[in-house]
Amino acid sequence: MSEPHYPGAVAPERSRFFASDGVRLRVDAWGDPSAAPVVLLHGAFDHGRGFDLLAPLLATRFHVLSLTSRGHGDSEWVDCYAWQNDVGDAVNLLRSLGRPAHLVGHSRGGGQATDAALWAPECVRRLVNIDGFGPPPEGFAPPGVPVDPRPPPPRFRDYLDRRRRAGERAWRPYPSLEDLVERRREQNPRLSREWLRYFLHHGAREIEGGWVWKTDPEFAGGFGPWRPEWIGPGWRGLRMPMLAMVGTEPDTWRLDEAVASERLAFVPELARAEVAGAGHFVHMERPRETADVLLAFLEP
Amino acid sequence: MISLRHGRVSIALHPLREGAGPALLCLHAVGGSARDFREAAQLWSGPVFALDFSGHGDSGPLRGGGYFPENLAGDADAALARIGPALLVGAGIGAYVALLLAGGRPDAVPAALLLPGAGLEGGGPAPDPSVNTLARWADFGAPLPGCDPAVRRLERDVRPPEYAEAFARAAGRLLLAEGDFRQPAWWQAVRATPTATPVPGDLAGGLAHLATLTPD
Repeated sequence: MSEPHYPGAVAPERSRFFASDGVRLRVDAWGDPSAAPVVLLHGAFDHGRGFDLLAPLLATRFHVLSLTSRGHGDSEWVDCYAWQNDVGDAVNLLRSLGRPAHLVGHSRGGGQATDAALWAPECVRRLVNIDGFGPPPEGFAPPGVPVDPRPPPPRFRDYLDRRRRAGERAWRPYPSLEDLVERRREQNPRLSREWLRYFLHHGAREIEGGWVWKTDPEFAGGFGPWRPEWIGPGWRGLRMPMLAMVGTEPDTWRLDEAVASERLAFVPELARAEVAGAGHFVHMERPRETADVLLAFLEP
Repeated sequence: MISLRHGRVSIALHPLREGAGPALLCLHAVGGSARDFREAAQLWSGPVFALDFSGHGDSGPLRGGGYFPENLAGDADAALARIGPALLVGAGIGAYVALLLAGGRPDAVPAALLLPGAGLEGGGPAPDPSVNTLARWADFGAPLPGCDPAVRRLERDVRPPEYAEAFARAAGRLLLAEGDFRQPAWWQAVRATPTATPVPGDLAGGLAHLATLTPD
């Protein structure tokens, strides 16, 4: 199948693989390599090419690098997925650049960008978190997935049962890319079919029998004692200005404003921005408006 | 040695002794291996197995270095899937893993003996917002001989006492070694639950108590 086109989407000018903790991760780049760097981190189940709309707009002024996290897109799969490892990968990429960079993350990537800025403040000039302020205390409730109210032990038993099948599991192939587009639209109805066709073409591969996600089926099957109230207090330690960006439209994956403000109140130097007409996927839904806000916030 | 699979990783299970009666599965501390439990074969009348956790002994490393107690519990659960119900004895991180399994699979783990050792404390009861928790987790220091260097992250994960307590309450019987070692908050919370009993702090004393809990 030939590569789809989408208005405004620009394929990376350069792509390379980068080893972090021995794991091969894909880095896509746009713009003059001698310009000031901006590193982009995508959200869960997405991949680095989700920035094909935003990156070229930032590349007019910056060297833009988009990291695809372990287990996603064309980056390598690992044996155990954990938040800390992803943050470590971002820090390793930042350290490899040899100069401080601006750091921008969306959703899970926004939370990880914030943690990377805490971990390696010497590497981060300014921080942008696009709707990545953690899940609500009761967890996100995507359509058709009820919140599990049980205490940890029985949920851990389910985790162990899943781990007994781990390594054998594979994604069910969808007959066509169009079927993947429809599946993803159930989760993200705000994203157009035309964009999803472009985005998923790079996030899935064609095999015998149809199309499968590139994301490791073992991703997101973790378990541990994490608590939502741990988000926020640590952000007091941020040493650079942070821009918290959200869309104005309701979205399953958008954190309620009251919960977001409570957490953001810990950030010492906070700027806020809203992008009109966007839901959770601000940079995919309104790339021009997102770029304008970023270009105003990020110093050359 | 029996080679098991946990996900894409090869896990080594060492049968130390055959015998009649309840099986014993031994779980070592951070930096240890199945060899640490050779003595257990003389102290138990039933079959005795000892596991090498991922990144240790004859087991494979975890690609990407994501070592967490819950994933190690999956290593031990692969052994339970092979040998059937068993009593557990764990030292250090092995004790914490034994607690998770005793609470998560009480039907497969009727009782567990928890001993001190490397990895018992973890990274404290909650993240400390005043320290760079993530950098501390990643920069784990000197490698341990014969191990994947990243296994030292098993000394840094957060262990809230109420999380441990939930597993203790769901467990059958837990025997907690008494002795001169620092008891982390999770251990103290487990010790206060009705399922927990203090026992002498060495392997022999603990196994003698464990044997009294099981029908012959």
